[in-house]
Amino acid sequence: MLDYYDVAELFESEERQIQRSARDYLDNELMPNIADWWESGEFPTDIIPNLGEMGFLGANLPQEYGCPGVGNVAYGLIMYELERIDSGLRSFASVQGALVMYPISRYGSEEQKHKYLPQMAAGNIVGCFGLTEHDGGSDPGAMKTTAVRDGETYILNGTKMWITNGNIADIALVWAKDSEGDIRGFLVPTNANGFKANKIDKKMSMRASVTSELVLEDVAVPATSMLPDAKGLSAPLSCLTQARYGIAWGALGALESVYNDALRFSKSRSTFGRPIASRQLVQDKLVDMVTDHTKGLLLAWKLAKMKDNGTMAYNHVSVAKRENVRASLKAARIAREVLGGSGITLDYSVIRHMLNLETVDTYEGTRDIHTLIIGRDLTDENALT
Amino acid sequence: MSINIIVCAKQVMDPETPSSAFSVDSDIKQVTPVQGIPPVVNGFCENAVEAALQIREAAGGGTVTVLSVGNEFVMDVMKKPLSMGADSMILIQDQLCENLDALGTVNVLSAAITRAGEFDLILCGQQASDWDNAHVPLGLSETLGIPCLTEAKNIEIGDDSVTVNSSRTDGYEVFEANLPALITVNNEIGEPRYPTLRGIMQASRKTPEILSLSDLGLSEDQMAPAMALSDLYIPVSEAQCEIIEGEDDADSGRLLALKLREAKII
Ligand SMILES: Cc1cc2nc3c(=O)[nH]c(=O)nc-3n(C[C@H](O)[C@H](O)[C@H](O)COP(=O)(O)OP(=O)(O)OC[C@H]3O[C@@H](n4cnc5c(N)ncnc54)[C@H](O)[C@@H]3O)c2cc1C
Repeated sequence: MLDYYDVAELFESEERQIQRSARDYLDNELMPNIADWWESGEFPTDIIPNLGEMGFLGANLPQEYGCPGVGNVAYGLIMYELERIDSGLRSFASVQGALVMYPISRYGSEEQKHKYLPQMAAGNIVGCFGLTEHDGGSDPGAMKTTAVRDGETYILNGTKMWITNGNIADIALVWAKDSEGDIRGFLVPTNANGFKANKIDKKMSMRASVTSELVLEDVAVPATSMLPDAKGLSAPLSCLTQARYGIAWGALGALESVYNDALRFSKSRSTFGRPIASRQLVQDKLVDMVTDHTKGLLLAWKLAKMKDNGTMAYNHVSVAKRENVRASLKAARIAREVLGGSGITLDYSVIRHMLNLETVDTYEGTRDIHTLIIGRDLTDENALT
Repeated sequence: MSINIIVCAKQVMDPETPSSAFSVDSDIKQVTPVQGIPPVVNGFCENAVEAALQIREAAGGGTVTVLSVGNEFVMDVMKKPLSMGADSMILIQDQLCENLDALGTVNVLSAAITRAGEFDLILCGQQASDWDNAHVPLGLSETLGIPCLTEAKNIEIGDDSVTVNSSRTDGYEVFEANLPALITVNNEIGEPRYPTLRGIMQASRKTPEILSLSDLGLSEDQMAPAMALSDLYIPVSEAQCEIIEGEDDADSGRLLALKLREAKII
C-alpha cells in the first residue's frame, strides 16, 4: 500500500491483514480482467458470491445478521482496495453494503433484516438504491415518485435515474413520497409487475458498473416491504453518509493506482537522453500526488475513528469525500499527462480511473453540494436551497 | 475420522522484492532487510497450510498446528495461516535462531514437535524461497524417524496410511507410507485460499504460543552450525554481444549454429 507516512502503523494488526488479503485477492482474481470488462461495458456478475465469501459486502454491519462486523478502518481499507482496481467495483460494494444493507439494518424490521442481510452479505441477493430522478439529483427532496396506500398494499409510480446495479439487482430500495408527502423506503423485488430497469449505455465513465433507469408503473408491494423506521429525507441521506464515507477511502485507492502508473512510466521513459522522472516538472507532479494521498489517508483514518466512536457527522464526511475525490481526479488527470500518448490507452489504468472519477466526483453529492453543506455548517447560512 | 497435522512454515523475505532494492552485506554475510517491504510466509509453506486444511476438512475433524522457527516474527504476516483456518500456532522465537543452518532448524523443530505431542502428519513446503536448500524436511523426517514423501501433488489419507502422488520431471510416482509421515508440497498441490474477513477476525482471537529455545530445553551449543557460509555476494553478470553476419538469413543461421556448437550450448 502506498503509505508515505506509515499511516498503517495506526491501524490494528487485523486491519493491516485485511488490507493485504484484499489486495492479494483483487490483484490476482480481478485486476487481470478489469480493463476488458471496462472496455466491453460489463460488470462481472459471477464474482459477486466471491466478494461475499471474502466478506466485502456489508463488512461493517453486525455479525448477528451474517455480516463480518469489522470496524470502520477495515471497512474503509476494503473500499480502498476495491477502488484501486476500479471505481465500478467499489460502487457495486458501496451500493450493496452502504445503500441497501445499511438502511435495512438501521431502519428495517427484524423480519426484513433476517430475510435480506445474510443473503446480501453472501452475495446471493443483489440490491440497488433508487433515490435520484431525472430532474436535479442534487435535490432529492423534490422527488416525484409516489407511494399510495391501498389497504395492506402500496402502489408505487415514478422513474428513477442513474441507478447503479439496476439491471442486475434482485431488490430495489425505492424512495417515494406517501400521501402525506413523507419520503419512505420500499424494498421492491425487481421482478414485480410494472417494474422495469433500462440499462444506460454509451457511458464513458463507470463502464465496468451497471447503471440503469428504473421505471415503476403501478407496482404493488405489501406494506411490510416498507422500511418501518425510515421516514423523511434524513433516512436516505443517512445512507449517503455511509456510502460517502467509503468513497473517501476508495478514492485514495484509485489515486495510488494512477500514481504508481505515473511513477513507473516516468522512470522508464527517456527523452533527450534522460528519464522523464529526472525532470523537475515531472517530479513536481509526482510529489503533489503523494502529498495528496498522504493527507487523504490521514483524513480517512481520523474519520474512521470518529465513525467508530460515534462522533462523525455528515459534514465531516463531506470534507473527506469532497477533498479525497477531487485529489484523486486531479492526480488521474495529471498521471494521464505524465504518460503522454500511452495515457489514453487501457494498457494503463490512468484513463480508466480518470473517467470513472468524473462520476465519483458527481455522485453521492457533487463537489459543489459538499461545499455548500460544509459552508452551511461553518456560517450558519444556507446557500444550498 | 480425526487427523492431527503439523505444518512447518517459514517467514521469508518477500520474493517479489524488486531486484533494485535487494542487497547483501558481504562483510557480515547477510542479506540486508529492505525497508518498507514486509516479509511473507514462504509460498510453498502456504501451499502446505492449504493442503493441511483440505485434509482436515475431508477427514471431518482434527487439528492443524502451524510451527515456525525464527528470531523476529512479524505477527501480521505470521498470523496468515491462522486466518486461513489453522487451529493453533507455535512460534519458536529466539535471537539464537537468527542464522540457523538446516541442522539447527531441524533440532529446534523436532524438539518442538516432540513437545507438541501426538500427530499423524507433518507437512512442509518443499523448500523456502530465501535459500532454496530443501534440506529441513528431509532432516526432520530422519530425526523423527518417520517416512518422508516429497513434492506431493495429491495426498490421500487411509486408515493408518497415506498415499501420495509425487511430481517428477517425466511424470509422477505414487507412494504409500504408514502414518505418521512427513510430506513436502509445492504449488502443484493447489493455490492457498485467501484469508477472508471472517477468517482474519476469528484468527484475531487466537494467540500464537511463543517459545524460546530454553523452553524447549535446547542449549546454544546444540544450535552450533554444521555448515559454514564462506562467502555471500550478488553475482555480477556480464553480457557480451556479438553480431553474427552471414550472406543471407540462412547463412547467418548456419554460422550461429556453428558458434553455439563450439560453445557446447547445442
Ligand atoms: C454512474 C452513476 C451512478 C449513479 N448511481 C446512483 C445510484 O445508485 N442511486 C441514486 O439514487 N443515484 C445515483 N446516481 C445519481 C447521482 O447521485 C447524481 O447524478 C448526482 O446527485 C447529481 O445529480 P444530477 O446528475 O441530477 O445533477 P444536478 O443535481 O442537476 O446538478 C448539475 C450541476 O449543478 C450543480 N448544482 C446543483 N445544485 C446546486 C446548488 N444548489 N448550488 C450550486 N450548484 C448546484 C451541481 O453541483 C452540478 O454541477 C449515479 C450517477 C452516476 C453518474
